[in-house]
Amino acid sequence: MEAVHGHDHAHDHHHPTGITRWLTTTNHKDIGSMYLWFSFTMFITGGILALGIRAELFQPGLQLWKPEFFNQLTTMHGLMMVFGAIMPAFVGFANWQIPLMIGASDMAFARMNNFSFWLLPPAALLLASSFFVPGGATGAGWTLYAPLSVQQGMGMDLAIFAVHIMGASSIMGSINIIVTILNMRAPGMTLMKMPLFVWTWLITAYLLIAVMPVLAGAVTMLLTDRHFGTNFFNAAGGGDPVLYQHVFWFFGHPEVYIMILPAFGIVSQVIPTFARKPLFGYASMVYATASIAILSFIVWAHHMFVTGMPAAGQLFFMYATMLIAVPTGVKVFNWVATMWKGSMTFETPMLFSVGFLFVFTMGGFTGLVCAVAPIDIQIQDTYYVVAHFHYVLVAGSLFALFSGTYFWLPKWTGHMYDEKLGKLHFWLSMIFFNMTFFVMHFLGLAGMPRRIPDYSQQFADFNMIASIGAFGFGLTQLIFLAVIIKCIKGGPKAPAKPWEGADTLEWTLPSPAPYHTFETPPVVK
Amino acid sequence: MASTPPPQKTSPFAVAKTVFWSFFGIRKGRDYQSDIAKITPMQAIIGGLIGAAIFIATLVTIVQVVLSK
Repeated sequence: MEAVHGHDHAHDHHHPTGITRWLTTTNHKDIGSMYLWFSFTMFITGGILALGIRAELFQPGLQLWKPEFFNQLTTMHGLMMVFGAIMPAFVGFANWQIPLMIGASDMAFARMNNFSFWLLPPAALLLASSFFVPGGATGAGWTLYAPLSVQQGMGMDLAIFAVHIMGASSIMGSINIIVTILNMRAPGMTLMKMPLFVWTWLITAYLLIAVMPVLAGAVTMLLTDRHFGTNFFNAAGGGDPVLYQHVFWFFGHPEVYIMILPAFGIVSQVIPTFARKPLFGYASMVYATASIAILSFIVWAHHMFVTGMPAAGQLFFMYATMLIAVPTGVKVFNWVATMWKGSMTFETPMLFSVGFLFVFTMGGFTGLVCAVAPIDIQIQDTYYVVAHFHYVLVAGSLFALFSGTYFWLPKWTGHMYDEKLGKLHFWLSMIFFNMTFFVMHFLGLAGMPRRIPDYSQQFADFNMIASIGAFGFGLTQLIFLAVIIKCIKGGPKAPAKPWEGADTLEWTLPSPAPYHTFETPPVVK
Repeated sequence: MASTPPPQKTSPFAVAKTVFWSFFGIRKGRDYQSDIAKITPMQAIIGGLIGAAIFIATLVTIVQVVLSK
């Protein structure tokens, strides 16, 4: 028996090398790494587009770009960051961590996992290459609102196909995650013993399966309006452009939670580890996550208060939106209570998680401001909204991704990262992030519209501050890249459990985690 | 597959109570463990859907009351 096992073991390591390894791999760690590198590439690409936006807005007047190209920059920045950077980054974390955290040997559908990933690069190429087709990329905004999206050039078609492909990838990834979590947990690991990161991903995967087909439907209707003579959104043909907004936001609001729930999961792993206390209110955290997910389906029209909604509609969506503050507040209080009287240390993962808590909560509060219909009518389509969702998506999702990367990097690479550089990355990110986006609240309240390449003189000072902050933030991310490359190449050897307070299954494995893990499932007591 | 003990029978009232707390986002650890032992996933999903319908109906009623004044 032992001999047979030994033979199998040796055979397992005859996997292809070079590019073939990455093209054909079914290993969750390889696929996770590819997702993470892909999303980082898209993050840098989308970031460069953002710097193009901020360079133009550094001072009033048209300096660098034509207005049409400026709109393309804002649109593609949004699409690339949402669908190319944040979502695949969380799937990368899921691929690496879920099997390790539940004691499974791999993802349930290993070949589909490979296919899910390899759909993404063609989609990214479609998006990026759309800049070079006649008429350029789509400039309809990341929401692709009709009727503008019905009228634009072929860049719009490329964006529609890219969204289709990325949606298919997300749905396959979600099916994989759900089946893995429900069927492949180690003996003894009941649902209630699952780490919170696994719980948040389970709920997120259901959200994805529920709403990605809705987005696919919306963009397919756009496509048929554009090329096949239908008039879903074309008022001249009896269609209704506002219908597009309803369908889009029925996807779009749960999408916001798709991008933040796994971030909650990461923070819920990091804070107890560095506070050296169990997570306060584990049960309520699970309940709050489920509650947020359900509520996310009945608030979509708060994005549409200015479309001429009846008062009853405005009140319903306003009340429902404000109620989301209850389960979200439960989570914030639980994280604070976890830290209360804990033996806290502030290594880089903890810094990013505490930073997340501080800045994400500000984004949550400005969300409540936007939820009040009469206020929203004033600030709709201003920089206040831009500030709000960047506080949620950059300070929320991105900071949690950074936190998780530093947290698990020793397990992934087998080396400790450079703590000094990590801390420098955190502090510069925090300072430049607030420099960029805090002033946008003032710009929005003063009435500066979003998605414009030029502005009145009174907005000049705050825009200059925001642009300097944005370039600082962008350059700071090179430190992150340097830390990762340095950590992959070498550094102090990481022990199996580099963090004293860590208690989930992945820390029982050696660092770096071997290519095949948990071939015999561990028993959880 | 993780081995879980077969769930015991539970009343619709207990499911409703669990769904209520899940909407609020808070639950005592002890009650939570008892939920897991007694409530099946199907009961939780059906309870959740009914809970969501009641929640929406309540909000609509509140909106109607506010607008009628």
